[in-house]
Formats: sequence, structure tokens, C-alpha cells
Amino acid sequence: MKGKNILLKQLIAITMVVVIFAMINLSIYMLVTNRLANNFSDTSQAKMVDVEKYLPHNPDSDLVRIDSSLKLSDNLPVLDGAAALLPVYAAFVDNVYPKGSVTFEGGKFSDDNFYGENFAKNSKMQYKNTVRGYQAIVDGTTDILFCASPSSEQVQYAKDNGIELKYVPIGKEAFVFFVNKNNPVDNLTAEQIRKIYSCEYKNWKEVGGADRTINPVTRLEGSGSQSAMNAFMGDTEYGIKSPFAVTGASIGFSFRYYMDSVVGNEDVKMLSLNGVYPSKENIENDTYPVIAQFFAIYRADNENENIPVLIDWILSDEGQKIIEDTGYVRIN
Amino acid sequence: MKPKTFNIIFFTVLALCAVFTIAHFIYDVNAYQHCSIIYFIAKELW
Repeated sequence: MKGKNILLKQLIAITMVVVIFAMINLSIYMLVTNRLANNFSDTSQAKMVDVEKYLPHNPDSDLVRIDSSLKLSDNLPVLDGAAALLPVYAAFVDNVYPKGSVTFEGGKFSDDNFYGENFAKNSKMQYKNTVRGYQAIVDGTTDILFCASPSSEQVQYAKDNGIELKYVPIGKEAFVFFVNKNNPVDNLTAEQIRKIYSCEYKNWKEVGGADRTINPVTRLEGSGSQSAMNAFMGDTEYGIKSPFAVTGASIGFSFRYYMDSVVGNEDVKMLSLNGVYPSKENIENDTYPVIAQFFAIYRADNENENIPVLIDWILSDEGQKIIEDTGYVRIN
Repeated sequence: MKPKTFNIIFFTVLALCAVFTIAHFIYDVNAYQHCSIIYFIAKELW
């Protein structure tokens, strides 16, 4: 009898260990793991941008098409850019470049790989996104890059390589902050957001919200949105948040069009800033407080004569119409 | 079971659970740095 009791206690002890660890792991899974879509997965690729939706010269692509007065046939500049601007520069290619100018490794588009595309090296359209795109424009493998303002590291990278880059503003966009749709906060001031990211405010109730820890989320350094956020923060230093903040209620930042149209996730909502919602109208009339320009960027020493031709066309009514119809705001 | 046998089984199970939890934690830290923030916030529990 005594031996059986001891055995029972021993089995209970072992079972308890397993149960406790299982509960810990289940909690971590529910609070964090379940919400992580790694960039290597198809799920996350689709969340960044579904390249296949924006392939030029494909009748099923979701691109703006106009009766372009400019048609280039040779010396085609290689176009590349940020995820959020893929629908714009893919439309430029579609409207101006001849069929056959966009090619793929193996002859056919595939996103079943690390970067979610397989543009061939000789393709006149590429998709390297911001970080690799800035390297490509400096290294000379891309002729025109469509991106938001560069980070200080990207400016320095060009300087270190003795390369002067030209930045031509071609459109406008709102830099926005977003939260989960169930978060009761709808509006924050710029000062409140800076205090959230400097970790002076650590709980949503300090800004009129629920009693939950704030998880201020940042992005990959060098990405367009992180560079815009660094500019927004100005001299305010980022704070060091508690590792447990990740289980709280998050706030993130991005560009309006990317949030609204490219990703289009209905479970998040954009916040008004200083009482102004980031609508297209409020960008056009300059009432939204944080408006970012995006650029056509090229090397000053690039002698391809079609670069100024294409950029002039982008700044013309035709190019600006493509930008506007895609969902951005024209520069002029 | 004998105390020695129990100790071996108990600490083996404990070690395996701890290793699994640490691996889970390391995966999360790594995946968090590369994840889609919009997706992460969209799936927040409220």
C-alpha cells in the first residue's frame, strides 16, 4: 500500500511538470507564436505584397492602365522599388515597356522562394524592396528605384561608395499609426506617440485607453517606414520596452496605401493623428500632419538617356494619373 | 519506483520540457524580428 502511494505521488510529480510546461507553452503560443508569420512563409509573403497580382503585361493583373503617349523600346531603365510602391512602378512598366521586357528565372513567375519572386537578372523590372533596393541602385544593378526617403545608413552607403543619388519626388503619402480594431483608442497626438515610443507612456490608460500594456512595435532598420518613423521621432530617443510588452496591446506604423490597399487587413485600424484621419482627402489638402513624399531615385552618373524621359513622363499628367488611380496622392 | 529511477525520469522529463520551452522562446524572438507587424497586431487577443 505504502509503495503504491509513493508510486502515485511520483507519477503525479512527473505529470505536474509536464502539465505546467504545457500550460506555459500554450500561453506563449496563444499570446505570441500564433501571431507570428515569418517572412519565409507563404503567409507572410502575401502579407508583404502579392507580387503575382502586379505583374506587367498580364491581363489579369491589378494595375492601372492608360493610353500612354510614351512607349520605350530599347535602353530600358531597370525599375525596382519598395513593396508599397510595386503597384505603381509595375504599372509604369506595363504602360511604357514592351512585352518581353519582364522575364523570370525558369521562364515563368514563381513566388515559392525566400523573396517571393523570381525576376531574371536581365528583367527590366525587379522587386528587391527598400533595403536591398538601395544597395542595388548604388551598386548599379538598378537604374531607377521607387522608395520613400532613405535612412541615414543608406545615405552613408552611397557616400562611402562615392555615388551621388538624385531624388525626384513623384507622389505623396500619409505616414500612419495603427492598432487592433478592438483597441478603443481612435486618436493620438504626435506628442503622445513620441512618449509611447520613448516608453514614457507604458499603459494604454495613460492615453485614454484600456488598462493594458503598450507594445510599441518598430520595423527593420533601413525599411522605408522605419526611416519615416525615425524622422517622426526627431530628437526623441526610443525607449527600451519590457520583454513582456509583446503580450500587451500593440501600436505599429506604416504607409496608408500599403495598409489600406496592398494588405487590406480589416482587423487593424488606422488612428487619427492630432484629430485628423489619414484619408486621401486629408493628404491632398495637407491637413494630415505627417505626409511623406516618395521618390524616383537614380544615380547622377547614370547615362541612360531614357531615365530623364521616363521621369518626365511620370511627372506628367499621364504618370500622375497612374499614381492617383493606384491610390496614392499626386505630387502636384 | 526506486528513488534513483524516479530522479532520473523526473529530471529527464524536466530537462526535456525546459529545452522545449527555451526552443519555443528562441523561435518566437527570432520570428518576431521578421514577422508581418500588421498580421501580428491584427491577431491580437482582446
